[in-house]
Amino acid sequence: MKKTKIFVIMLLVAALFAGLVACSDKKTTKTEAPTTKATEAPATDAPATTAAPEPTEAPTEAPAAALTGAIHVYSRDASSGTRGAFEELVGFEGELTDDAIVTDSNGDMAAKVGADQYAIGYVSLTTDFAANNIKAVSYEGVEPTQENVLNETYTLARPFNYVTRAAGDFGNDKKEQLVKAFIAFLTESAEGANAISSAGGIVDAAGKKPWAELKADHPIVDEDNSGIELVTVGSTSVEKAIRAALETFQPMAGNFTFKMSHAGSGEGPAGTVGAEKDSAKKGDIGFTSRPFKDTEDVSQSMSNGTFCLDAVVICAQLDNPIENLNKDTVAAIFKGEVANWEDIK
Amino acid sequence: MNKARRRKDIMRTSVTWISASLAVLVLTSIFVFVFKRGAGTFSWSMLKDDYWSKNYLVAFGDVAANDFAPPDTDSEDEFFSRKFGFGLADSVDKENNQLMLVTTVSALSPLHEGTITTAGPDQGKVMAIPLNARIRRIDYLDQENNVKSTGLLGQDHSAEGAIERLEQEATAIREIYFQSTGGGIRGSIIATLMLIGLTLLFSLPLGISAAIYLHEVAPRNKVTDWIRAAVEMLAGVPSIIFGLMGVSMLFRVTNLFGITTQSVLLGSFTMTIMLLPLIMRQTEEALIVVPGSLRMASLSLGASTTQTIFKVVLPNALPGILSATLLSMSRIIGESAALIFTMGTAISDSPKISQGATTLAVHIWTVMAGEQPNFELATAISLLILVLVLGLNVTVKLLTYRINKKWQV
Repeated sequence: MKKTKIFVIMLLVAALFAGLVACSDKKTTKTEAPTTKATEAPATDAPATTAAPEPTEAPTEAPAAALTGAIHVYSRDASSGTRGAFEELVGFEGELTDDAIVTDSNGDMAAKVGADQYAIGYVSLTTDFAANNIKAVSYEGVEPTQENVLNETYTLARPFNYVTRAAGDFGNDKKEQLVKAFIAFLTESAEGANAISSAGGIVDAAGKKPWAELKADHPIVDEDNSGIELVTVGSTSVEKAIRAALETFQPMAGNFTFKMSHAGSGEGPAGTVGAEKDSAKKGDIGFTSRPFKDTEDVSQSMSNGTFCLDAVVICAQLDNPIENLNKDTVAAIFKGEVANWEDIK
Repeated sequence: MNKARRRKDIMRTSVTWISASLAVLVLTSIFVFVFKRGAGTFSWSMLKDDYWSKNYLVAFGDVAANDFAPPDTDSEDEFFSRKFGFGLADSVDKENNQLMLVTTVSALSPLHEGTITTAGPDQGKVMAIPLNARIRRIDYLDQENNVKSTGLLGQDHSAEGAIERLEQEATAIREIYFQSTGGGIRGSIIATLMLIGLTLLFSLPLGISAAIYLHEVAPRNKVTDWIRAAVEMLAGVPSIIFGLMGVSMLFRVTNLFGITTQSVLLGSFTMTIMLLPLIMRQTEEALIVVPGSLRMASLSLGASTTQTIFKVVLPNALPGILSATLLSMSRIIGESAALIFTMGTAISDSPKISQGATTLAVHIWTVMAGEQPNFELATAISLLILVLVLGLNVTVKLLTYRINKKWQV
């Protein structure tokens, strides 16, 4: 009796440590590996084998050969501007396969695709591909780069749009002038273009003027604006570019403060000129990462338009041999008509 | 006992062992995970720094180039401008953004004498560029007196390129745009404390009075039972529903105070309602533990019921009420779903009651929801939350131990 008890306890202790080792980082296993008895060795195997998720592991051992196995389709949630743009550009709106795994942000998508060998998904070009263990797949034989988007050969591109509140609806006149100045900075100045492109946005620097020239039309920037808070709402994809632009503009325009509460493209027009414009989700400038829809009436706004372009990039895990996909194949994959990697021609 | 019976017993007891050790395993692995990922980021400066970088634009009145001796420390990654006497190095931040950091500034370098150009009270003041400042853009004059710019927002995106260009082309530096280091959580800590303070201010009086009514004042009948059942049920409502209710109904209440956005006040109203069942139940437990003989003694000495409740029962239930307070605090620290709706997800460095802010838990949500999830910062905050909640729970255990000891004697 006592012996079995000791044995079971030892086994549990071993399993506990094995679990700990399995869940910790690979590089630090050395320091973490406890000085337990010999019982540990067989126990460590158990969680390791259960951790490997895919049944079809054998054929993928040779990396040079094409990948075989079921395609795991990843998509964004329905409110995502990236998803709206992607489905429209590829042409399978509303026909996404039911087996698609839904991710809730661009970063989430990148991380999940990077962790799944059989995954295919789509992210914004601004994503850090190497850090997430993913690679960009060419579309129609064209590599997704800033140059190819600007010269219009890469067709999976979409606009980043802005829309402001209606003139006179900002609650205070100084804020309205400041928004006007910021829009000028964002769309016309060289400094603004630099800030946007440093954050991955694609913008044609030709024809932009230095802010020192534009500044004359916006005397508000020479006042102390530290009491004014600009609120931006809308797409999460534009967040990085807008943050860079706002940060650059801040010391040029009297240290105004800004608050970014971005939660999806739909809330951009809604929070500025739409149904939510007086609710808790209201903002001074709204952003979408797709063209405005017909249902979104932005005509009342003080100004609206496109401030830069972004490319949607089809992505797969870094080890995936796939290099290029055509429009029809992409549509077939995301509709679920092509279900296996070996079926892609 | 026969053999088969013995085997059965061992099987059954080992199920209990396995279940218990599973709980221990999960807890340990959470701690190991959080420590491993977060301990490196956890530091005093993380606790006291702002989350948002401060942006500075300083002008130099076209100071001319000079000749500065490079510092003795000859590092591979550091590039030194002999003309202007400062060194730059490349770096990346936690969110994988490229940075250009100031590594050295010579004693006589013009970088000590820039003046702030931003309109406001500080305009015209001298601002020395500090070490580790994140250089974004350097505007300089070239030989033909044209203004050009270099840096991350200029022509060159590396420290080496920027310094090289300055050495070759620049005759004077005109303006530098730089940022301070951000990434701290001070604002969220303050917001969490504000939320705890406000919520307890509203919920403790409500919850304790309601518990006293239910246990001491109310007649023992169906209606009281029904109220008690309703409170129990309230405890089972998922927090996201409280969040929805907060943003749609309580939002109108905060509108009356002139608040038009999500705010800390709205969050505290919502948390007040969420915590009511917890405080009521804990207080009632504390009231039950107070021996009936105390009440009898007080009443027999001629005290009224109200006097008995407030002068005899309540002081004796105080430790129990205190532990209810501590439990509520850890509940507020841990809550996220309801607060995302009611306080928003925008991180604020100087939270105000009338404006949105993030608590520590929502701060984690925000840094993980972006384009580049910031695991290090998220786990460092988790570490802080775990330590806080652990501390509160240990205090509750000590308090309960003291109460039990008190009434046993």
